[in-house]
Amino acid sequence: MTAPIFEAKQVSFSYEAIPALRDLSLSMEAGRSLALVGANGSGKSTLLRLLDALCFPSSGSISFSGNPLTPERLRADGYDLWFRRRVALLFQNPDVQLFNPTVFDEVAFGPLQLGWASTEVIARVNSMLETMVISHLRDRAPYRLSAGEKKRVALASVIVLDPEVLLLDEPTSMLDPRSQSQLIDLVQNWKGTSKTVITSTHQLEIVEDIAERVVVLEQGSVAADGTPSEILSNGELLLRANLVHAHRHKHGDMVHSHPHLHSHARHEH
Amino acid sequence: MRRHDTIAATLLSLTHAFGTALVSEQVARRPGLLQAFDPRVRVIGLFALVLAVILSHRISVIVALFVVAVLLAVLSQVNLKSLAIRVWLMVLLFTSVIALPSVFLTPGDPIVTFPAGALHITAQGVTTAVLLITRVETAVTLTTLLVLTTPWMQILKALRAFRIPQEVVMMLAMTHRYIFLLAETAAQMFESRQSRTVGVIAHSAARHMTTRTGGVLLSKSVELSNDVFLAMQSRGFRGDAKTLSEFRMRSLDYIGLLSFLLVGVVAVWVGRA
Amino acid sequence: MHIPDGYLSPSTCAALYASAGVGWYAALRRVKCVFTTRLIPLISVFAAFSFVLMMFNLPLPGGTTGHAIGVTIASIILGPSGAILSISIAVAIQALFFGDGGITTLGANCFNMAIVGSLMAYVTYRLVAAGAAISSRRRVVAAAIAGYLAANTAAFVAAVEFGIQPLFFHNARGVPLYAPYPLSVAIPAMMIGHLAVAGIAEAVIAAGLVAYLQVADPLLLGNTSGLSDSATSTPVFVPQKSLRKLWLTVALLMLLTPLGILAGGTAWGEWSMSQVSAAADQKAIPTTSHDQAQPSSPPAGLQRLCSLWTAPIPNYAPEFVKSPRFGYLLSAMFGVGMLMAFSLVIQRILQRRRTAGQP
Repeated sequence: MTAPIFEAKQVSFSYEAIPALRDLSLSMEAGRSLALVGANGSGKSTLLRLLDALCFPSSGSISFSGNPLTPERLRADGYDLWFRRRVALLFQNPDVQLFNPTVFDEVAFGPLQLGWASTEVIARVNSMLETMVISHLRDRAPYRLSAGEKKRVALASVIVLDPEVLLLDEPTSMLDPRSQSQLIDLVQNWKGTSKTVITSTHQLEIVEDIAERVVVLEQGSVAADGTPSEILSNGELLLRANLVHAHRHKHGDMVHSHPHLHSHARHEH
Repeated sequence: MRRHDTIAATLLSLTHAFGTALVSEQVARRPGLLQAFDPRVRVIGLFALVLAVILSHRISVIVALFVVAVLLAVLSQVNLKSLAIRVWLMVLLFTSVIALPSVFLTPGDPIVTFPAGALHITAQGVTTAVLLITRVETAVTLTTLLVLTTPWMQILKALRAFRIPQEVVMMLAMTHRYIFLLAETAAQMFESRQSRTVGVIAHSAARHMTTRTGGVLLSKSVELSNDVFLAMQSRGFRGDAKTLSEFRMRSLDYIGLLSFLLVGVVAVWVGRA
Repeated sequence: MHIPDGYLSPSTCAALYASAGVGWYAALRRVKCVFTTRLIPLISVFAAFSFVLMMFNLPLPGGTTGHAIGVTIASIILGPSGAILSISIAVAIQALFFGDGGITTLGANCFNMAIVGSLMAYVTYRLVAAGAAISSRRRVVAAAIAGYLAANTAAFVAAVEFGIQPLFFHNARGVPLYAPYPLSVAIPAMMIGHLAVAGIAEAVIAAGLVAYLQVADPLLLGNTSGLSDSATSTPVFVPQKSLRKLWLTVALLMLLTPLGILAGGTAWGEWSMSQVSAAADQKAIPTTSHDQAQPSSPPAGLQRLCSLWTAPIPNYAPEFVKSPRFGYLLSAMFGVGMLMAFSLVIQRILQRRRTAGQP
């Protein structure tokens, strides 16, 4: 059994006085895809940021391929650059990730920071723009992009480095249905490759498409860990974790209530 | 109605920013004369002309430079009518109001004396007012030409070529990008507050509303800056940003640069005291 | 208050670009060593915030509306160096992208609003708030006073820049080549608008935002209380001793304004010549002859200073300016500046003696 690519042990983290993660432990194997589900405020974004070494736990430890992720370790002999190339985080709010004047500059930013040669950068950026079908946007400024376009540019700007690990924070949020399904297609393409993909979402209906394993977060700790079918059939758990709701509704002539979510998945009685 | 005065005025200025950006993008795409030059040539050249405007002491020279500016505008496919309305007229009104008292107040040789004897219009007064107005009009026209024909990103890349520190250029780029986001956020906040209130808002209530919106915008700005910082780190940023340098001067650019500088030098020489 | 191209002579522009350059360099160095990687997004977003804040049409007490600069809140949150950079960037974008303010006068505008404004705001805020709790009302009042003084000081410096133009930059026939109004007109004209409206707008915004932050996010106000703070928001720690340096800078600025005028001796000779030749300006001659009403015992040196101020003012100046009181106002500024500088020097000497005496 290979060493896990990520190992989080009893991690706690607070924003100022507010705890976000409490004693969380999680192990992630390389090449797998994981869906991190939980209601807003359950700690998903925080966990992803910790995994990307953007902040550090107040107690507990996180390691990547056996290396502990601490400020000191990152500062030592260029480890941070090595790490940044291998692990990519897609933020939930694309505006935060689009801080360059044009789309081309944005996608070129990562490679440039990592010291690639100009010609290589230009070639790689052009091919990335083609792959993501955004070449026509190359000279556009970020404020002139639609939400879906912004997400595609943001995604392009993080996968241009061909990272081994993809951390996606609510990638389908703020997207219209078509952009959502396009994005899900992309994530599905990575499932089964050697890439490790951790996607956080509160949309249960996409979980089966994007992951082989589901971890449910509730108030900063792991509430459940299993396959999509195991987790999704556990109505009580989902209700408790505020991932589904229950209200009276109709099936034909019957009126009843049970935990469900509004999706195109049929449910029968 | 009072309510619409200040909030609506604020909304207007906020959306005006977008209008300016869009117009300048359109003009920058046209196949005109200025657009054909390297951005560095445009920046140096137009700045040199503005300097010539400031250095000249003669109205005739300044007017000549104005004609040059108009010519450049025409050759760069800038719509003169819209330039006249948005720029020339505004500047004329604004500067005339400021310059008008000087017509009466500047000491010198009176050319018109009013019956009461207390007020005269002096030759010097008229000259100084005309001088000021022509200077401002010409300088603003030249600056507007630069802005209309050169996308912000190109201006910044030109600045980088002039040894302005990389951090400063990055900050200018990023600020520009986020002005639009914050303006949009502020506009949305104002609109939603406006739609939630019924009837006329008292002056002081409008003040509180505006200040509170400013406060929320401030909090969002700080949060945004923190998140952007993390996003930059996540992509490998360690403090010294590296960028691609793309500009190359062609013979056309050298000719253009020399022409600008020549016009400037001639203007300064002819217009000297 | 954004000065367009054409109002200031090339030499004035160059001098102010140089002064602004010094301020920018110092601010950039300081912010770089405090913030390192965080500098760029922090200053940029704050500059964007100030820019948008400047667009707010603020209803003021009394029924008018005005615009604030935002320099005060920037100084309170980021400290003066951060504020210098943020406001300068906002002003630069206004000039280069939106055509608001000239490019030859960019140095002047940044000097007035970003540098003088933020120093004044910061020093005033620190002095008035001195040690009060972050949530105390005193901080709100301190912000208001700081805002009012900062806006008016910036306006005053701009007014002086305008006002010296006809003095130094006119042609042989007496035509002012740039801004045509002397100090006696420029100063009241600029100051009335700012004392009554723009200063109030700045005060209202500064106070309003501080009050808001006291509730919403008090950590942002942390740096100016002298507490060192490891908050995730904006860790800016400006140690106590740099406050004295800032006092020195403010003092120097106050000293320089009159000194700058004193330097131009020959210009007054020319002025009075053109006045003498014009028939209508006979009344100006008595003004140049120093026989003002003798006030109650000013020191002789100050008396000379006053007459230098009032001498070149021609007959069209409003009454109050011809009196020595106006000259005294400016001389008083000079005096205060001198006293401040003097007290700082004494403090420095005393401190050195104290540390030298310790083992």
